[in-house]
Amino acid sequence: MKKLSGIIFSNIYDGALGDLTAKRTVASLPFGGRYRQIDFVLSSMVNSNITSVGVITKYNYESLMDHLGSCEEWDLNRKNGGLYIIPPFAFGRSDVYHGKLEALHTALNFLKSQNTEYIVLSDTITICNIDYRDVLSNHIASGKDVTAIASKPRSGADNYPAVFEVDRNKSAKSITVNCPAGKNSYVGFGMFVMEREALIKVVEECVSAGFYHFEKDFLQKYFNEGKITVNVYNFEGTVLRNRDIATYLKNNLKLTDEKVHSGLFKPAAPIYTKVRDEIPTYYGDTSSVNECIVADGCVIRGELENSVLFRDVKVEESAKVIGSVIMQGTKIGKGAYIENAIIDKNVTITEGARLIGAKHSPVIVKKGETI
Amino acid sequence: MLDRRKECIAMLLAGGQGSRLLVLTHKTAKPAVPFGGKYRIIDFPLSNCVNSGIDTVGILTQYQPLELNNYIGNGQPWGLNRNFGGVHILPPYAQSEKMEWYKGTANAIYQNIPFVERYNPKNVIILSGDHIYKMDYSKMLKYHIDNDAECTIAVRDVPIEDASRFGIMNTNPDGSIYEFEEKPANPKSNHASMGVYIFKWEVLRKYLIDDEADETSDNDFGKNIIPALLRDGRSLYAYTFADYWKDVGTIHSLWESNMELLDGTFNIRDKVFKTYARNYAKPSSYIAGSSEIKNSFVAEGCSVKGKIEHSVISTGCTIEEDVQIYNSVIMPDAVIKKGAIVKYAIVGEGAVINENAKVGDDPVYYDESEWGISVVGKDEQIARNSVVKPNEVI
Repeated sequence: MKKLSGIIFSNIYDGALGDLTAKRTVASLPFGGRYRQIDFVLSSMVNSNITSVGVITKYNYESLMDHLGSCEEWDLNRKNGGLYIIPPFAFGRSDVYHGKLEALHTALNFLKSQNTEYIVLSDTITICNIDYRDVLSNHIASGKDVTAIASKPRSGADNYPAVFEVDRNKSAKSITVNCPAGKNSYVGFGMFVMEREALIKVVEECVSAGFYHFEKDFLQKYFNEGKITVNVYNFEGTVLRNRDIATYLKNNLKLTDEKVHSGLFKPAAPIYTKVRDEIPTYYGDTSSVNECIVADGCVIRGELENSVLFRDVKVEESAKVIGSVIMQGTKIGKGAYIENAIIDKNVTITEGARLIGAKHSPVIVKKGETI
Repeated sequence: MLDRRKECIAMLLAGGQGSRLLVLTHKTAKPAVPFGGKYRIIDFPLSNCVNSGIDTVGILTQYQPLELNNYIGNGQPWGLNRNFGGVHILPPYAQSEKMEWYKGTANAIYQNIPFVERYNPKNVIILSGDHIYKMDYSKMLKYHIDNDAECTIAVRDVPIEDASRFGIMNTNPDGSIYEFEEKPANPKSNHASMGVYIFKWEVLRKYLIDDEADETSDNDFGKNIIPALLRDGRSLYAYTFADYWKDVGTIHSLWESNMELLDGTFNIRDKVFKTYARNYAKPSSYIAGSSEIKNSFVAEGCSVKGKIEHSVISTGCTIEEDVQIYNSVIMPDAVIKKGAIVKYAIVGEGAVINENAKVGDDPVYYDESEWGISVVGKDEQIARNSVVKPNEVI
C-alpha cells in the first residue's frame, strides 16, 4: 500500500527574500544553475516513491505553474495520484491564508482524498536531497505523534523557525520558535511527518479556534500542553538553508564545493527540473572560468570567478563576474564588472557597467531591467 | 462524415547497421549515436518534423532496437506523445506464415502500409536517420502541393566535380525531373538527392505494391521506386535545400560535423526552430579554477578541471586535472583521467581514458595515408600510459 503523500508550501517565507520573490513564489525561486527551489523537495519526494503531492499556493504562482506544467519531468503525470496544485480559496470561502495551518485548511479536500497513512509536509527554503522512506521508518519506530526533520546548526547566531532540544532517543524535550540554536540542539527544516488522519483533525481544530501558525500554534503549543509527542529525525546529509538574500547567494556559490555538490546531486536520486531544450554552453577563445557552476545555453567570452550561471546567459569579452548569481536569459556587455550581485532573469547589463555589492548585502537587479 | 486524416506523415528509415561507424554502432543503432554534446543523430529529423508541423512519425528499425526504443520512449521530449499520431517504432512484422527482415528501404515502407493507412494521409515524407540538418519540411510540402507533384525530391547543389559520387537529378527549368542518374561518370547537373522524398500516398502505395511483386527488384527507393515513377512519366519535382546538411555515415564525417558546430558552419542556436532531445536530469556543469576552455561546447552534468580546445564535451563527462583535449568529440558520460591527452579523436559513451594515456594525434606529424581520427568505442577502457594511434579504433 502507498504509505506517504506529500504537501509542499510554496509561499511560506516569501517575505524574507525581498525583491527576488516580488513576482514569484519562494518555491519557484531559481537555484543552482538550472533548478527552482521546489525541485529539490519535489524530486526527493518522487525518489522516495511518493506519487501523490499537493502544492499549496497563495499568490504569485504563475511562475510556479509554468515551471511545473504537466509535471512529466517528475513523472507525476499519473492516473492515480500525481501532482495537485491547490490554489487559495480552493476550499469554501476562506480568506487568503496567513500560516501553514490555514494553508492546510485549503488543502483539506486533498488530504481527505488520499489513501495513504502518512503525510510529509515541507517548505521549499531548505535545499537537500533526502529519502523520506528512511524518515518514515524512523517515525514509525519512534512511536511519536510528529517527526520533525532537523540537523545540527552551523552557527548559533541566527534565528531559526524551530529549534529542538532532545533526549538520548531523539525525543523532543523542548521546542522553541524563532530563536537562535544552542550547540546541542537541532534546527528544524520545516519538514514534518505525521499520520494523515491526525493531521486532518489538528487542522480542523486549530483553524476553528483561530490559530494559523504551524510551529507556534500547533507544534509548540500542543507539545507544551502534553497533547503530542515529537520525534526528531537527524538528517546528516548536505543541507542548505536559503533563509534570506545573503544565505541565498552564499548557498548558490557553495555548489562549487565538490562535497556540497555530490551531497545534493546523487546519480541514484536525480533532481528533476523543467526541460528547456537549450544547446550546450559555448566557451569562446577569450573565456576564463574559475570555480563556477554553469548551466546550458550560455555563451561565455568573458571572465567568471566563483559564480553560478543559469541557462542562456551571455557574457561578452572583457566582462568580469565575481561571486555572483546570474539568472536565465541575462546578457552582460563588454567590459562590465559585477561583484557580489544577484542578477534576476532577462536583465541587460550594458557595456562597461559596474555593479559591486557586499557579500552580506549583495546588489540585486530585478527581472527584466537594463543597467 | 468527415474523414479523420493527416495532411502529411513521416516515415523515418533508421534501419541501417551503420557499419562504417565501426565500434560506435556495435551496441547502438546508428540514429542513436550521440552528436553535438547533448543530442543523438535522430533528434535532428525528429525535431525537423515537429518544427514543420508533422506530428506523426514512424521509425523503421531492425538493428539494435533496444537503445533506440529506450531513447524514443513515448516521444514526449519532442512533443510527439499524441493521441492521434505521435511517434511509433516499427520493427519488421512477424506475420503468421513468415517473419522477414526489411529487404530494402521500399520494402520497409511496404511492410508498414497498414500503419500509414491508419492516418489516411494525403502525403508521406520519407526521411533518413543518419543526416544532420535543420530543414522546414512544411516549405517543401507547400512546393510539392503547389506543383501538384506526385513525388518531390529534396536536392542540394554539390560542386560539379563531386557530382559523380551522388544520385543526381536532372531537371527542366521549372524544377521538374526528367532523369535520375545514380553516380554518373559524366554528370549533366549538380542536384544531388538528399534521400528526403515527399510522395502522394496513393501514388507511393501503388508503386510499393508493384515493386514488391517484382522479384528482381532490390526494393530500394533510389534504385527502383524513383526510376519506376520516371519511366511511367509521373510528375516528379526537385526541391533545392541550400542550408547545412551532412551525411554522418562515416567516422570522419561525424567528427567533422561536430567540428562544424564550433566553427559556426552549422548553427544550432535557434530559439524558434529548436532541436529537442531526451534529457537526463543532470546538474549544471562544474568548471574548476584549473580549467581552460577555448572555442568549445560543454553540455550539462560535466566536471571540468583540464584544458579543452576546439572540442565538443557531451553531457555527464568528467575531465580531470592536467588533461588536454584538442579537436575532439567526447561522448556522454566519458571519463578522461589525470594527465591524459586526447587529440583528433572520438571518445565513445561511458569510455574511460586512464591516467597519462594518449589518444590520437595531430595530422601534421603524419602522411595523409596513415592519419585519421582515433576512435574509442562505447564503454571501452584505455589503460594508463598507453597510446591509441591516429586512425586506430578500439
